[in-house]
Amino acid sequence: MPTALAALEEAYARRGAARPPASPASSASSEGPAGARTPVVGYVGADLPVELLTAAGVRAFRLTGDPESGSALGDRYLGLGVDPMARSVLTRLLDGAFGDLDHVVVSHDCEASLRLFYALRELRRVEPGTRLPEVYLVDILHLPHRTTARYNRRRIGEFAARLEAWTGRPLDLAGAVAAHDERRRLLAAVAELRRAVPARLTGRQFLAVADPGLPVDEHIALLERLLAEAGRLEEHTGRRVFLSGSDHDTPHVYEAVESEGYVIVGEDHSFGGPQPDRPVGAGGLDALAEHYHHSGPTAHRATAGERAAHAARAVRHCRAEVFVAYSRIGDEAPAWDFPAQRAALDVPAVLLERQEYGRADLTALRKEHPCAV
Amino acid sequence: MRSVKSLATAAEAGRHQREWFADLRRRVAADEPFALLNADVPHEIFRTMDIPYAVSQWWASLVAAKQRSGHYLELVRQRGYPDYSEQYNAVTLGSAFDPEPEAGPWGGLPKPDIIVGEASGDVTRKVFDIWGHEPGVTFYPLESAAENEVPVNWWELMPHRWEQAVGPARLDLLTAELENLVRFLETTTGRRFSESRFREVMALVNEQEEWNRKTRDLIARTRPAPLGVVDSIPSVMLPQWHRGTEWARDIAKRFYEEVRERVDTGQAACPDERARLMWIGRGLWYDMGFYQRFQDEYGAVFVWSMYLAIAADGYIRYGDDPMRALAARFAAFTDQLYTPPWSSEWYVKEARLHGIDGVVHLVSDDPRGSYFTARALEAAGFPVIEIHADNVDARTFGDEVVERVGRWLENVVLA
Repeated sequence: MPTALAALEEAYARRGAARPPASPASSASSEGPAGARTPVVGYVGADLPVELLTAAGVRAFRLTGDPESGSALGDRYLGLGVDPMARSVLTRLLDGAFGDLDHVVVSHDCEASLRLFYALRELRRVEPGTRLPEVYLVDILHLPHRTTARYNRRRIGEFAARLEAWTGRPLDLAGAVAAHDERRRLLAAVAELRRAVPARLTGRQFLAVADPGLPVDEHIALLERLLAEAGRLEEHTGRRVFLSGSDHDTPHVYEAVESEGYVIVGEDHSFGGPQPDRPVGAGGLDALAEHYHHSGPTAHRATAGERAAHAARAVRHCRAEVFVAYSRIGDEAPAWDFPAQRAALDVPAVLLERQEYGRADLTALRKEHPCAV
Repeated sequence: MRSVKSLATAAEAGRHQREWFADLRRRVAADEPFALLNADVPHEIFRTMDIPYAVSQWWASLVAAKQRSGHYLELVRQRGYPDYSEQYNAVTLGSAFDPEPEAGPWGGLPKPDIIVGEASGDVTRKVFDIWGHEPGVTFYPLESAAENEVPVNWWELMPHRWEQAVGPARLDLLTAELENLVRFLETTTGRRFSESRFREVMALVNEQEEWNRKTRDLIARTRPAPLGVVDSIPSVMLPQWHRGTEWARDIAKRFYEEVRERVDTGQAACPDERARLMWIGRGLWYDMGFYQRFQDEYGAVFVWSMYLAIAADGYIRYGDDPMRALAARFAAFTDQLYTPPWSSEWYVKEARLHGIDGVVHLVSDDPRGSYFTARALEAAGFPVIEIHADNVDARTFGDEVVERVGRWLENVVLA
């Protein structure tokens, strides 16, 4: 039997493939208990209340791009000003790389996701030959005010109703929230392994552990095993880096940074999870709406001040020695955060700006903060 | 090549703007509150409360026209911020960092007490929030919400059936935000909000935009075009920043009358008109002469920009509840211009209305759904050429653009 870490890394490598990973008990079939086909939902963005997808009993996974394959179609439909990660996701959707999806659900976590939603909606209208699945937007907003909270609650309720219409059955929200909260609790415990000195997980490994694209129950089982096997994990002694900024839906940048002897011990993008440990708790849709209202702080929705305060706390918590802000071409929000972040930190900080998707030009990092390893 | 304006209305609007700005500086010097507002937020509340304000995009356009955007972007860069991102707002932010603010255009932009902007995109909120950390400055952000399903024909629905066009979720949100904004302004400035004055302001705005609608329709059906965008842009946009005043309503009427007179007397921007061009995108503020560059050689006239057309179709809102009507004006304002299917279908409608022969489309780096705009126009039979540049950052404008447009006119539009 492979270790839990190996199983998670294998699932991570397969996630988003045409046949998404499924639990061994139900693998190779999307038949429901009564023989009805279980809807398959691909989702985009960090703000998606995944608890509702679980509660609806759909098979769901987050759509990711691929820097190694072309993005010509995404470039054409979205334009070169949009984050290339979204352009890649659109290209892969049009290429059928995710298999047969019944629905695509998009969150408004950043401008690129919103533009992706608009492009999908319009392509379905004017180019029906693209055979894209139905697309739905979950518009969760983030200004810290009651007006926004009420809006979010309305949108969460609408999404819940839409899911019930798609599946034809009521949601099991309490069970789903409990499962996702348990996953959050376990992920927080696993994150402590990385924060240990020396780290017991690399950043690349944590990406796989955090989002292997598995159903939540299967993910929980592997996280429990991983924690039980923690004593057997290797130690990683590289210079400790906190990675801030753009989302990383693939391991490319992590591998580039860690191949030079650094170890990424924390991050603030949504594929690592800025705050994976805060539970939703009881309270149904109200609690869920509040949870996603206050998620983050992400580069795209928080102020520079909020991001700086978070960076200072997280860097201390991770015992990071170097702060690296990464801002991709077409994703410029992190570059606006950097001056405030640097001022708030008591470790060296470097900005890698206008980076290509899946690439990391580490010249500035090497020059200013060379790795001693 | 400098642009040449020929309309008395455009000249009068320019004069008024200078006088207004000088008066604004006097009022600010006398300790009146001063607000800096994004273009797409409800100025009408400030008008109602007589709180002086300036529009950030107008200021950026002035800076660009004075060829000073590079200076302000450099000030942004010196603070460690990117100078290649959201330049339309970053240029204005740069004025906050200017060690010699009085050396700016027209004596410089006064320091605002309050900034109001929509949290659209990923960066706008950050830009103004950074400004909000300057001493004495408060940033009041408004949400930028989105909708799943929208009826396509917004321009037909908006005047009276805006609830159907925008949808109740967004309207409830922005109405609540605006009610809160009023109380915030009452508390921080000591000014009062009069409901009857508010209704007057809303009525004046509708009257002003109705005149713009008549002007738009007149230009659309007149050949050769009585004027080009070099005249129509200042004639509609400077009053737009004063909407809700009698002056703005009256000059919108005079603008119509002056165009009417030109039509009646057979005056034209280019008597030898051979091609009617549409400019899609923000104004090319650092080179307004661009719009007249193709008239002599090709008889090609830019008869359309979004500025008059959006005044005609995008602002008018009638209804018994003025705050909700105001929310309806702005809860989806940018969708009208930049989000398909609203934007793309509207551009096609406007191209048909104006008898357009070719479309020059300015495509900036910020995500604006440009593919679907070009696709819709081309599918409807309108040739489109794209120019990739930022409208306030002259550094991004290629030397080859004029030649490329000329070749396109020869080989496609006039072929």
